[in-house]
Amino acid sequence: MPQLNSVYRHREFQDLLTLSGYERAGGWNGLKATLEMSPDDALYAFQRSGLRGRGGAGFPMGRKASFLPKDSGRPTYVVCNADESEPGTFKDREILDKNPFQLIEGVAIASYGVGCERAYIYVRGEYGHQAEVLRRAITECREAGRLGPDAFGPGAPFDIALYRGAGAYICGEETALLESLEGKRGQPRLKPPFPAVAGLYGCPTLINNVETLAALPPIMHRGADWYAAIGPEKSPGTKIFSVSGHVLKPGNYEIVMGETTLRELIFDLAGGLRDGREFKACWPGGSSVPVLTAEHLDTPLDYESLAGAGTFLGSGGCIVMDDSGCIVRASWRLAHFYRHESCGKCTPCREGTGWLEKILGRIVHGDGRLEDLAMLESLFGRISGRTLCALADGAVAPVQSALELFRDDFVQVIEQGGSPVPEPMGVINV
Amino acid sequence: MTAHEISEFLAPIRHEFPDQRSLILPALRFAQEEQGWLPPEAMAAVAEATGYSQAYVESVASFYDRLYTEPVGRRVISVCTTLSCMLRGSDELLAHVAANIGTNGEGTSADGMFTLQRAECLGACDRAPCLQVDSDDQQGPLTHDDADAIIGALRADGAPTRYDR
Repeated sequence: MPQLNSVYRHREFQDLLTLSGYERAGGWNGLKATLEMSPDDALYAFQRSGLRGRGGAGFPMGRKASFLPKDSGRPTYVVCNADESEPGTFKDREILDKNPFQLIEGVAIASYGVGCERAYIYVRGEYGHQAEVLRRAITECREAGRLGPDAFGPGAPFDIALYRGAGAYICGEETALLESLEGKRGQPRLKPPFPAVAGLYGCPTLINNVETLAALPPIMHRGADWYAAIGPEKSPGTKIFSVSGHVLKPGNYEIVMGETTLRELIFDLAGGLRDGREFKACWPGGSSVPVLTAEHLDTPLDYESLAGAGTFLGSGGCIVMDDSGCIVRASWRLAHFYRHESCGKCTPCREGTGWLEKILGRIVHGDGRLEDLAMLESLFGRISGRTLCALADGAVAPVQSALELFRDDFVQVIEQGGSPVPEPMGVINV
Repeated sequence: MTAHEISEFLAPIRHEFPDQRSLILPALRFAQEEQGWLPPEAMAAVAEATGYSQAYVESVASFYDRLYTEPVGRRVISVCTTLSCMLRGSDELLAHVAANIGTNGEGTSADGMFTLQRAECLGACDRAPCLQVDSDDQQGPLTHDDADAIIGALRADGAPTRYDR
């Protein structure tokens, strides 16, 4: 069960909230190595490392960066997506809280590769404390000349602007984020054109998640080959999993991809369940992915293996529920989330998420009918795949999979006249 | 909050954005600090400071959960009730906070001190059940006694120097 704190450098070193502390921990070695290369060689290194986007989609980071045209005649932008709001996910929060300089260094490395002089970090509105930590780190970098007119060498400027969201899950979707950053309502754009071609202010733009960018400094310092050799060929590197719900040690765990199973993550690293409780279900990649049962516990944690189990690695937000929980109630709560967060632009999502919540709500509250299950099933295909962005797919996936895997539970709740509120786990000091 | 004050706040960051429209969101956040919400005068001031119409500014503001277009209490308490927190007792925590401050579920207390709202995932599932005061660091895991202590401290504190909701 190999753990490797590559992104979570703060777990190995002290004092990473000051620039000097970060330097003592090997900070800026990655950028230093990068600046000795040509931008094209840096891009090539991103690709060779095999690093895949850690925000949820898992798209190869280097390939995404290579899509940016070099001859557009317009500025190029790097945007860091720090709008972490996928339920069950709190990995980026810890990077922002504890290791902000590594993120800044990662943003600088990516920016050098794609020829960007001004990057933006978009922090979700609720992360006020984290934004403040990051703001201080950026200020310290400016004062030390790490950011500013000569950041990439004499006369080679680079700087980062911090931007705060104001409370909207949808702004984690990359084009909605760009809209928000442009001072608009955060509603997704039609793609293509993709942000690589026409992103922020219509210019070529690379958007990556916090964890993805914070992975770059060690990659550039130790070499792309070092990284590519960690874990499986198609999913190399480390991945941070946030474990929450009915586990005794909720928290973030950075592990080598593919070498830890879901069972080890939940029962060894996250402390397992309370005595006398059985595992019921888990959403392994944030709430927008199909749910898994005890049958899937031996699945290794990497993109391919989780896809093989019928779900997604997603953001790595692993929500665990034991047998004290009710899958119908859990599904209803998630449906509420998506209904609340649907931006309203696409009808299938705006209306469909409302129907999902309504139907699940009446089942939970004892007004359900067996026909409701068929009605739910008829809805899934009318919502999924029919919208501009993936929020609708994310709303359907957990509900559809729950109904497939736990149909008996749904029938039972309907027949017994609702789902009683279970005793919550509450606060347990381990 | 006057348009002039907002312009002064924006001055150091104007150069960071090639399109001045990007300043609307920072301006709204700043304008909200004075009264805790965005009355029409605040919207008008943001419009004047950024050069966009008040209607446009309001259309942006109304999209975001943490920009308030209705009055709120001096401190806004957000209790996360999404799945991870629900499994750890967030609904019970929300009900307990409501009983403490005398609201029936979500809403503003009669003395205008608190607004209680349920929040969607606050990114602190490891601290479940958790709450957030304005946009301070998320606090948890909380027993009901812990929540009472937080509310008691807020009552004694009065208003913070900076809201940043």
